[in-house]
Amino acid sequence: MNQSQPVLQVDKLSVGYQDKVVLQELTFQIEKGEFVSLLGPNGAGKTTLLRTLSRHLTPLTGTVYINQTDLKTMAQGHLARTMSVVLTEKVSPPFFRVLDFVALGRYPYTGFLGKLSPTDDKVVMAAIEMVHAMDLLFRDINTLSDGERQKILIARALAQEPQIILLDEPTMHLDLKHRMEVMTILQSLCRDKGISVVASLHDVDIAAKISDKVGLIKDARIIAWGEPENILRAKTVAALYDFEGAAFNRFLGSIEFRGNGTNGTVFVVAGMGSAAILYRLLSKRGFSIVTGVLHKNDLDFFVADSLGADCLTQSPMEVITPETVQKAKKRITEAACVIDTGFTLGDLNHENLDLLKAAMEMGKPLFSMRKDFNFSQLAPSSQDILFSCEDEARLVTMLEEWLRETSR
Amino acid sequence: MSLKNVELKNRQLIWFSIIAAFMIISVALNILIGSVPISLSELYQIIMKHETASTKGFIIWNIRMSRALAAVFGGAFLAVSGLLLQVFFRNPIVGPFILGISSGATLMVSFVMLTTATMGFTLLSPFMTTLSAFVGAYGTMLIILSIATRVKSGITLLIVGLMMGYLCHAVTSVLVAFAEKEKIKGFVLWQLGSFSGFQWNEIQVMVVVGGIILVLVYGLSKPLNAFLLGEEYASSMGVNIRLFRILILLCACSLAGMVTAVAGPVAFIGLAVPHMARLCFNTSNNRVLVPGCLLMGGVITSLCDFIARMAFTPVELPISAITAFFGAPIVLSLLLKRKVSI
Repeated sequence: MNQSQPVLQVDKLSVGYQDKVVLQELTFQIEKGEFVSLLGPNGAGKTTLLRTLSRHLTPLTGTVYINQTDLKTMAQGHLARTMSVVLTEKVSPPFFRVLDFVALGRYPYTGFLGKLSPTDDKVVMAAIEMVHAMDLLFRDINTLSDGERQKILIARALAQEPQIILLDEPTMHLDLKHRMEVMTILQSLCRDKGISVVASLHDVDIAAKISDKVGLIKDARIIAWGEPENILRAKTVAALYDFEGAAFNRFLGSIEFRGNGTNGTVFVVAGMGSAAILYRLLSKRGFSIVTGVLHKNDLDFFVADSLGADCLTQSPMEVITPETVQKAKKRITEAACVIDTGFTLGDLNHENLDLLKAAMEMGKPLFSMRKDFNFSQLAPSSQDILFSCEDEARLVTMLEEWLRETSR
Repeated sequence: MSLKNVELKNRQLIWFSIIAAFMIISVALNILIGSVPISLSELYQIIMKHETASTKGFIIWNIRMSRALAAVFGGAFLAVSGLLLQVFFRNPIVGPFILGISSGATLMVSFVMLTTATMGFTLLSPFMTTLSAFVGAYGTMLIILSIATRVKSGITLLIVGLMMGYLCHAVTSVLVAFAEKEKIKGFVLWQLGSFSGFQWNEIQVMVVVGGIILVLVYGLSKPLNAFLLGEEYASSMGVNIRLFRILILLCACSLAGMVTAVAGPVAFIGLAVPHMARLCFNTSNNRVLVPGCLLMGGVITSLCDFIARMAFTPVELPISAITAFFGAPIVLSLLLKRKVSI
């Protein structure tokens, strides 16, 4: 068997309906055992593409090849033994046990009346085992939760013993546990069974972590195709979904939501990953954040940057320079208050302590999560503007209270 | 661990036996009981000697037996037809006449019965009614089939069928408006269906043609099962949707058309029996439901015909009145309980 031949190949394909081209000039290929996620906004054409690949729609132009054979010319039984689908349509015929439902997937293998052979039974059981649903074996499918039903639909697709499975939004309506479970199952189909999986997804973060390749679909074409590690960057993702007020961070592998920043500006002295959670909370509560001085390889920097905070930075492994400190002090004068995250002090960030000192000397209120530290050694006369807080939530509550008091 | 559902198999076997027993009882009732009482021993004599000359022999052979068998076959065909269309359209409230089969037949019959345009036939013979109903039912079927090859989805076809029904009804109602009063009663009674007056040659046709179609339907039970998941899943599993669609419609419409041609539009059997069968046999598996509906439809129609004949003797009630009277509450309660849905 020639391993290098792609299982599915698409050449100059355009898809759509009689009078409407949805996607055009598509050319890509999918290898054996590859997990491909199709990402894109609603209505971009992910489903139309999948329906064309599964021959529910005929291509407007171009060709789809399955194992080097033109999809158009494939015999229906052969196609059913090569490719199976999981659709978004809700199916739940009455009086069906999970076992019998999955057995429907044996259709292309059974005889005239659909009687199951011992081999068929074995494949059905293996498929149910593959999706960890042995406990559901004798349940009526109408009593299953959405997540369980989705696993059973995947098992039914598996019972066709396909080389390719196409899934249309397999994680839609699922809770977090089942979302993870379904994705893990799909991943193991690729790894362990060598099945190629093509799924349209909405969770960019999950897609980035699970898929081998992603296809970004927008404006009637594929705007990018390749490894998610290369392709999914803040700008591409923002352009894909026309994000405003949120950003994808490829290092964090997640999406950060930006606040509106209308509650005033706070200066956060942070570093060493001590402020990631605080940043999100401040941003959520509508504070505009200025922060520093951060090294550019600091977790705090990735989070703050994704949240759209104003970051004063230093290159990694460098001592914070006097110029940066000067800049930071200037920004502190503009801020309503200063927050100290209780970051660990080291040789490279000792200057940040100077920032705290300067802030207190300026008379800026200081909210601190630092433990076992005597602030009087920094600024002896400023105890009345020092607020000690145990955690982020309390800190922000106190901060809001203080702002209300002073504005009165 | 046993994968086969032994419990269900046994339950289904029991139900099959019960229904078969009822079948024998109801056919026997229909033959034995009537305005002329006939005892079992007399019946035995008449059947064994193939006695048609005596009055009782004539009643048994030419009136009661043909009618009893016609009710069984008619009900069986309608139930299977209803099952096919319910699965095909994935809709629980679909019956065999949803595509306008009965409306087409009614329209043609109304032409013959209500207008003076009897095309040279001075006498309105039952044969003319049968012929026109046949033409109407199968004409509608041909139109539906030719449309079915063109439309993409089943839903479109369903709407086409409904619209055809309305069109036919519209023309029929115009004819009724212009018809003479005394003709209307006959027409209304025809519309309610009856299994009386079946000829043996009609039953022969039903058995032979119907038998062939039923074998075909049983052969279709595998793709029918795949169809429970909808057209898209079915085609992804290897069902040739276009061919299958034509076959299903052909089978369902010709079964319903055959009954309509001779007995008129018998209501509710085709709609209610598939639901009852699903509940009794506790399955959606069409390999069980096709024979199940066949038997159940036969039994229930046979019993309904018995009630129609005997409830207010000598007045005979229209069969549709009885089927609907018992069928409607059953369907209603099933759907309200949401025990069945397609």
